[in-house]
Amino acid sequence: METQKLIKPPVEVRYAEELEALRAHDQGKRPVNWQMSPEAVRTFILGARKPLEYNGKTYLIEKKYFGNDALVERCIVTLAGNRGLMLVGEPGTAKTMLSELLSAAISGCSTNTIQGTAGTTEDMIKYSWNYALLLAKGPVREALVPAPLYIGMEKGILTRFEEITRTPAEIQDSLISVLSDKVLNVPELEDGSFLFARPGFNVIGTANTRDKGVNEMSSALKRRFNFETVMPVREAALEKEIILKEVGALAAASQIEMEADEDVAELLASTYHELREGVSSYGHRIDRPAAVMSTAEAVSVYYQTMIAGYYYGGGQISVDTLVQNLVGAISKENKDDLEKVKAYFNTVIRDRSDKEGGVWKRYYEAKKWLK
Amino acid sequence: METILRSKEMAEITFLPIRHHSPACAWHVKQIIEKQRPSLILIEGPCNADSLIPVMTDEETRAPFAVYYSYRDRTGQLSERKGHYRCYYPFLDYSPELAALREGRRLGIETAFIDLPYGEILAATQEGKGLLQQREKPNYNDDYLLSRSTYLQRLSQKAGLRSFDEFWEKYFEVKGIREDSETWFSHLNEYCTLARADAPEEELIGEGCLAREAFMAAQILARAEKQQRKNGDGKDGDGCGGIVVVTGGFHTPALQTLVKEGKIRETGAAKIPGQDQEVYLMPYTMEAADALNGYASGMPYPGFYQKIWQGLTAGGQPYHDAVLDLIVSTGRAARKKSELLSTFDDICAMQMAEGLASLRRKPEPGAYELKDAVLSAFIKGECTLATDRPLRILQEQMRGQGMGKLGSGAALPPVVLDFEEQCRLLGIKFRSILETEVTLSLFSSEKHRRMSMFFHRTLFLHTSFARRVKGPNLQQKKDRNLIREIWKYKWSAQVSSALIDVSVYGGNIEEVSVTLVRQQLSRETDAQAGALLLTQVFEMGLESQMTPVYDRVCEVLQADTDFKSLTRALEYFMDMQRLQSLYKTALRLDVLTQICCQKLIMLLPSMTRIKEEDSAACMNTCKLLYQITGRECQELQEAYFEALSAMLLDRELHPGLDGCIHGILYGCGRQDAGEVERVCRGYLTGTYEQLLKTAHFFRGLFFTARDLVFIGDAFLRMLDSFLGSVDGESFMELLPELRMAFGYFTPGEIDRIAAQAAKLHGKSGRALQEGREVLPAWYAYGKALDQHVMADLEGGKDG
Repeated sequence: METQKLIKPPVEVRYAEELEALRAHDQGKRPVNWQMSPEAVRTFILGARKPLEYNGKTYLIEKKYFGNDALVERCIVTLAGNRGLMLVGEPGTAKTMLSELLSAAISGCSTNTIQGTAGTTEDMIKYSWNYALLLAKGPVREALVPAPLYIGMEKGILTRFEEITRTPAEIQDSLISVLSDKVLNVPELEDGSFLFARPGFNVIGTANTRDKGVNEMSSALKRRFNFETVMPVREAALEKEIILKEVGALAAASQIEMEADEDVAELLASTYHELREGVSSYGHRIDRPAAVMSTAEAVSVYYQTMIAGYYYGGGQISVDTLVQNLVGAISKENKDDLEKVKAYFNTVIRDRSDKEGGVWKRYYEAKKWLK
Repeated sequence: METILRSKEMAEITFLPIRHHSPACAWHVKQIIEKQRPSLILIEGPCNADSLIPVMTDEETRAPFAVYYSYRDRTGQLSERKGHYRCYYPFLDYSPELAALREGRRLGIETAFIDLPYGEILAATQEGKGLLQQREKPNYNDDYLLSRSTYLQRLSQKAGLRSFDEFWEKYFEVKGIREDSETWFSHLNEYCTLARADAPEEELIGEGCLAREAFMAAQILARAEKQQRKNGDGKDGDGCGGIVVVTGGFHTPALQTLVKEGKIRETGAAKIPGQDQEVYLMPYTMEAADALNGYASGMPYPGFYQKIWQGLTAGGQPYHDAVLDLIVSTGRAARKKSELLSTFDDICAMQMAEGLASLRRKPEPGAYELKDAVLSAFIKGECTLATDRPLRILQEQMRGQGMGKLGSGAALPPVVLDFEEQCRLLGIKFRSILETEVTLSLFSSEKHRRMSMFFHRTLFLHTSFARRVKGPNLQQKKDRNLIREIWKYKWSAQVSSALIDVSVYGGNIEEVSVTLVRQQLSRETDAQAGALLLTQVFEMGLESQMTPVYDRVCEVLQADTDFKSLTRALEYFMDMQRLQSLYKTALRLDVLTQICCQKLIMLLPSMTRIKEEDSAACMNTCKLLYQITGRECQELQEAYFEALSAMLLDRELHPGLDGCIHGILYGCGRQDAGEVERVCRGYLTGTYEQLLKTAHFFRGLFFTARDLVFIGDAFLRMLDSFLGSVDGESFMELLPELRMAFGYFTPGEIDRIAAQAAKLHGKSGRALQEGREVLPAWYAYGKALDQHVMADLEGGKDG
């Protein structure tokens, strides 16, 4: 697969060489069927200070997941055990990214994925049939079309289940027996109707706390998982760093030759951070918008602004466009949200523009676009 | 570990750096002493506590306990304030100092403390630093010195660990117990040298570190020479029996240098009279020993490390066992609180802890793996306040429970002895650990009054000895009509801890209470707090303090301009004045009441534009002032009415207050009903917004003069026309206000009003309560119709 031709190559492709280098240097004990040891998985996700030499090249493993290091460690240990891993949290807190990184490092494959929707059915999870073959040869293994859970069990790799709480409860519950007994019954097959999971198999689920109550997980299923709550980034400075890094990667992928502007990233990071926390760095109390104020949203607002600047703004990022995009991102669910952002500009940004001037002043002046 | 052998004139000195609460450290200290068998063990700690060592190492004494140091600055050595100072030095079973002391006793080795006495440390410390920082419980431990260095904080971060405590646990505890003692101490020595390296000199001077170290070094040198002479005199002579010096790691490098140089420096600390300093042992709780409680006393999770300590002495894998133990006990406790956890969850949690330990390269899981394991395996769903109960349970279990106990030889401060003496005199069974109830006839028996005073004093000192179950409560203004008090009391170790805690303030209960009252007096700044304190003094019967508190309250009253606080104070004074004769005091409370009234009357005119939520309180004050100026303070009556008139001049006067004032003026005959009616009509015929305010006006009016309604029918007509002119929505909004307004009437009066109102509409009062009659035949017809329809519907379904 040539990475250049894909919008978003899977993690194992994007970091293929890094993974290979890590595997080559890996001295630790590997759980059966794992591509690398838990320690190497940790290094892959959280980065290392020492560069690795491999095939005449030097690789510096960068930190790919920002936030709680202990959480990543717990995730890795969970996956090596006999319970599934469930990542829960607000939208945009990099749950999916973490699950991709984990499965790419552990199984070398992040694409064995079930996408949970209201329309997900059991055969999308377990298996379905190739009806032409079924008619021609009867219920034989050849006619069976394995779905991600089947593949995971058969190959001993991880199966990712995205947005599990979007799927109806009875479909979710089909995971219970597989997770506890590690066996899948295929009654249609004549010979050997049981598929026993091979070591290395496990499930990483993600669930969105905004969807809570839509299809609440049964307590029987909950018991088969270890839960990890992924929190939004708590420091504005770290959020700025993430925005710059992600936007840089996106720009490179789209071949936009433009430097990300640090000042603007700071505007955005602190706006998102303060609106999410409900308090400004000066101590103003702010009304929190109902819309999702995640770092991922901030990245997308920044990236849009950057594209606009690249194609229409003569390579310059304009604060006006930034505010326009901010409006688009915030007024999604609730009309009041825009009012809250306006109030935020009229208090926090005003005071900040008075005190710090410069880009903050321009930001404050751009509030005319908030409508 | 470094051993210094300076010359033939000195015994060999081994320096052991320690962290104050650390099982591994205590373990290694024990090992070294066992191995070296020194002839003297010197320990960091104020040297005026030497006399306590026998009790500290007594077999009956159980940790946790603390050494309590106090200093009463009678001569103004520290500051002109002549304050009281105290601090604690907590000891747990796994405190290295205690391990050294116990080992000394076991092996018959002499032990001694070598730090400056507490008072001298204070004298060497700058205001607001070190032990002179404003803290609830100042702690002698200075472990924070080991973690505050920025270099070491970066080191923890770089090692991928969340905090200094996690760093310490990984390298010095979990790994540390596997090392031999010499290696362990040399690692710690290295670490401490780094911690010391970037500590700024000004800070060390400000916190009194340098003075303490100079003193400790001098002590060590002097002891070493003396020891050598002793060794020389002994027959088996040369150099056997060295000295082991156990000090906080931060000080060890400096002490080594000072001792090597061999020069005795001046400490620079002032001499503090010994008789003003006291030391006692007191039982301590695990809870107070937990660093997470903000007392910053060493390591967090004392309960967890206590288990480690027990495991260490028993052999085996202490961390593994403790983690398993706590997972199981947390699981059990959580199940009791109806959390859905199974044994399999326990298994998963243990696997998680083990897995994390190996991923983090720790030989055994520690406190942080334990917490991670419970978080991961026990909490189902998103981790929120609603679901994190297992974590909270774990936190409690890791903190541990229990309180220490002192051996029978422990000296007690005079205040504890006085407490016992007082109990004996009053016939209180103070040694009973079962709760005893006693009923006191407060105003008829002199002895009972004295007992009540005594109980009140113990309450004031937060001893948790007695609690009042029933009786007049002047502080909360409840049950003031009662004449008996019911108290329950019982003895516990906390009582003696609490008493020792306040022993610096005086030699007996009364003296301590007096000092604390005085302290509060110098702080209190508003009238309400002052009046409350006076109430407490009143209840405690502190005769000697009545006048000073009284004078101070007068001062505070003069200075206070807060309407609410003055009102509250006035209420306290009124209560006391009423009960004065029963409590047999001769305070001039009437003067206080008068000052309070004067101030309130002065402030009244500025209270016209109050917020809705304050209106009830303000109306209350107006009424209260009216009552007082009519009885006790008649000379203020004119001023009061002038203030009211001034308030009426404000066009934006709160309508409730407006009504209230008019009611008062009407009640005392300064206004006739016609005038009140005119004002009311003004609201009614005003704009719609003003019309809506009528409800508030009525509320105020009825609060002070509800009889107006029954004079003629003018007010009733106005009320009626008001209700007729508001629309449904506004009516619903005003309903609560109207309910309050009518709440001042008795049920009988409401009945009368309703009857009169009905008359206005041509009906009798009774007619209002009558509903239209339903004839039985109609009812039967409806029922039959219902059944018919049902039958028809069901029949239709079948068809």
